[in-house]
Amino acid sequence: MRIQDIRKMFPALSQTVYGKPLVYFDNAATAQRPESVVRQMESLALGTNANIHRAVHKLAADATEEYESTREVVREYINAGSRKEIIFTSGTTGSINLVAFSFGEVFVGEGDEIIVTEEEHHSNIVPWQMLCQRKGATLKVLGVDDEGHLKVNELENLITDRTKLVAVTHISNVLGIINPVKEIVNICHSKGCPVLVDGAQGIVHENVDVQDLDCDFYAFSGHKIYAATGTGILYGKEKWLERMVPYQGGGEMIQNVSFSGTTYAPLPGKFEAGTQNINAVPTLKAAIDFLKLLKDSELQGEIKHVEEYLEKSFASLRVTMGIKTFGVPRGTESKAPIYSFVVEGAHHEDLALILDKMGIAVRSGQMCAEPLMDRFGVTGMLRVSLAPYNTIEEVEYFVKALEKAVKMLV
Amino acid sequence: MNTLEEAKKAVIEDFSMYDEWLDKYEYLIELGKNLEPYPEENKTDDKLIKGCQSRVWLDSKLEDGKVFFKADSDAIITKGIISLLISVYSGRTPEEIAGDDFGFIGEIGLKENLSPTRANGLVSMIEKIKDLATESISKDDVLTAEDAKELAPLYDNVVMALKQVYDPEIPVNIYDLGLIYELIINKKHEAFIKMTFTAPTCPMADEVLAEVKANVSDVPGITACEVELTFEPPWDQSMLSDEARLELGLDDISK
Repeated sequence: MRIQDIRKMFPALSQTVYGKPLVYFDNAATAQRPESVVRQMESLALGTNANIHRAVHKLAADATEEYESTREVVREYINAGSRKEIIFTSGTTGSINLVAFSFGEVFVGEGDEIIVTEEEHHSNIVPWQMLCQRKGATLKVLGVDDEGHLKVNELENLITDRTKLVAVTHISNVLGIINPVKEIVNICHSKGCPVLVDGAQGIVHENVDVQDLDCDFYAFSGHKIYAATGTGILYGKEKWLERMVPYQGGGEMIQNVSFSGTTYAPLPGKFEAGTQNINAVPTLKAAIDFLKLLKDSELQGEIKHVEEYLEKSFASLRVTMGIKTFGVPRGTESKAPIYSFVVEGAHHEDLALILDKMGIAVRSGQMCAEPLMDRFGVTGMLRVSLAPYNTIEEVEYFVKALEKAVKMLV
Repeated sequence: MNTLEEAKKAVIEDFSMYDEWLDKYEYLIELGKNLEPYPEENKTDDKLIKGCQSRVWLDSKLEDGKVFFKADSDAIITKGIISLLISVYSGRTPEEIAGDDFGFIGEIGLKENLSPTRANGLVSMIEKIKDLATESISKDDVLTAEDAKELAPLYDNVVMALKQVYDPEIPVNIYDLGLIYELIINKKHEAFIKMTFTAPTCPMADEVLAEVKANVSDVPGITACEVELTFEPPWDQSMLSDEARLELGLDDISK
């Protein structure tokens, strides 16, 4: 299989913007959707549309089957021990907020601590800040070094017996460095502290095995792995989920309701109150089928070639144009194809604006990681993030366009 | 100096010379690079415009009844856009600026062709320019005791004129209803009125505003009248005058 074969599966990629072929390099924000995913959504909306779990009729049974079989597919894909550990949410943000509330309500009190890192996305900072405010707890921060690596060696000393949870990203949405999550989990567990992993980018670029990682929670979104928007997953170890209180009350999350008291439904229903995103969740099946296609070795070789070409281009642009890249891998360490950079003398937004007029979609600004921008002393960056449908020709065109844009500005 | 309309026309003509948006950007970049330097010490938070992805500072001063703007941005295209706005609006009277609809921005296609965040920024820039102009309208008047003495009867007469305008639904005039939030008469005898309605959905709003403007303009000695509508703060019954309370039978008997 070749990149060109993958491209053909994505109708959105053949469009032009301002009369120029679209070059979509903003994949870390959201990926494009393959036709198979869109067709599945269409068939659910036009055909298998009924509310799940409740009614006895045929359509409801089919819709329930679509939804619940997705849970099994996801469980298998990340190798969770049980379907009870897979909770459907609205996205990574929804998953993290669920834990911040439901775990926080039971396990976090006044004077306790939560640890996050300096490279977290706002959605893995703010829910914890809100929890700390609610409970009178303290938020502590693990730093990032100049190359963009987490200061993992400082973690052990940062954890105290008041630390109730460590929340860390698998791959920073800015730096692209793959964090040593397994090592982090080991350190935390040795001190009796559970770990939540923000897998929004990690699920895209890594083969995630939650049992192997041994993390307590793993949160990710569907839309970054080619499924419909508004879909998300929270993996949580059963031992935690069982003891956590529900986040929202409503239909489907209950066993018995009376005015003297209500008992909650068993997992995973306890955390899925109300009508779920029934027309979108099953697209995760088509999306995961697509992810499996990507494992083809010929394709992986070609993708690697595109990434290396871009990395080499950045290396020479560093010399010719004074660009500065963030998140430098050490030695043979590999990095996810997420490249953030600044150009001396040219504002990130000006560059993004000019590139846009040349048909190239990149991200500019703070990228929802203001503390990290402050860490590196910049007001924003430019980010190129690749997907398996991006070609070497697109990278070549991007490099030329960037050179032209810089020439216009500097 | 050219008129406001001429300045706008010149910008529209300049822009129409370029077909390609990249060329238009180059033109904006050039404008940005040539913008008069902005004093570093004035890059303070109160001069910073909110709503821009890049940072924009805008400052103004009033000289001989005209507003002069200075600005800066860390992004050059944004700086070009603000430079273009300044070239059109700097050196105009506050009234000219406050009364302008900034429609020429649409004519050169600037707003439509900017990224959404930058378009928001542009809207914020325009609002800031208008705010600064409006502020200088009131700042314009440093009144001496004599000025105040001269203006006092005018205030009385304008209030009389306002009391002739009635709310379409309540048999009380708009002044006693408390709908007038602000009345300023400057040395040039121009009246500026900020007013509200009892509800944002008043179907007769345009008619009432026109009536206010006409009545106040007709007051002998008043040279012009500007009426601005606001719903901040929203009107409530506590704003009624004692006369109005009596009229509506709202007086608390137990008081």
